[in-house]
Amino acid sequence: MHDLVVYLLSNVPGLPPIVQTVHLLGIAVIMSSVVLLDLRILGLALPSQDVQELTRRVMPWVWWTLPVMLLSGSMFVFARPRRYFTNPVFGLKFALLLPAIALAAVLHFVSVRKPDDWRTKLVAGLSLLLWVGVVLAGRWIAYADYLFPEE
Amino acid sequence: MLEQFWAWIEMQPLSARIGESAWFPFLESVHVLSAMFVVGTVLMADLRLLGWSALRHPVTVITDEIVPWTWGAFVIATLTGVGLFITRASAYVANPAFLAKVVLLLLAGANMLVLHFVALRTGRARLQMTTGACSLLVWAGVVLAGRWIGHLS
Repeated sequence: MHDLVVYLLSNVPGLPPIVQTVHLLGIAVIMSSVVLLDLRILGLALPSQDVQELTRRVMPWVWWTLPVMLLSGSMFVFARPRRYFTNPVFGLKFALLLPAIALAAVLHFVSVRKPDDWRTKLVAGLSLLLWVGVVLAGRWIAYADYLFPEE
Repeated sequence: MLEQFWAWIEMQPLSARIGESAWFPFLESVHVLSAMFVVGTVLMADLRLLGWSALRHPVTVITDEIVPWTWGAFVIATLTGVGLFITRASAYVANPAFLAKVVLLLLAGANMLVLHFVALRTGRARLQMTTGACSLLVWAGVVLAGRWIGHLS
């Protein structure tokens, strides 16, 4: 797997930026699905769109996008495992990502029944912060040496 | 003349301060976050224009509610983008991916003008669908070109 991915990334012209673009467009879908829903629940965006209707409309996009993100992201992990598995920022990204995914499931399957409940707003607020953190941490993976120069 | 201008920009204290510190990755990460918010909200409007999603809401309701968020994120993406650009202005203006990104952004802007001032005002459904499709393609191109900049520098 490692050899295949390294071969593809170094021999198919333009493959690295193309795969990264797929990963980035996945972030765009996350932003306009679960993050926008968070903003709606918090009363900040899309005032005329009903929370329950919006939830059912956008949340399937999250579940379709996550496997695409996993595939596009893991190409780079397979290619240079050490760069990632010993990288504290990579660990941080996943420490934020797993609860973000769990809260997305809560929003989709539990909170949707009580859109005005304070607990729904709390979940939405946390979800928003976690997704922002995931994206920022994702970009900082490449700068881990900068943050932890001695390692 | 123009070359001297880009070199002058690079020599400004602010450019050096960003380029030589954690400000660069910080601005870059905020740039990615805000730019993907722009693309995501544009994507949402495009899917409605194409008639693939949110059909129970009129096109103008979707666009009117999403546009302020798109612009807000666009302002942040532009400010952080300029902050990144000034650190190595001469190199970026000579970078084919950067130039492609600028051209694609101008195309995206032109497409948006057609949408807002022609397609939505006249209510022509076919033209709305066309602008939605063009927007999807052009913005994907902006992301690809933008990501490619770093592979050429």
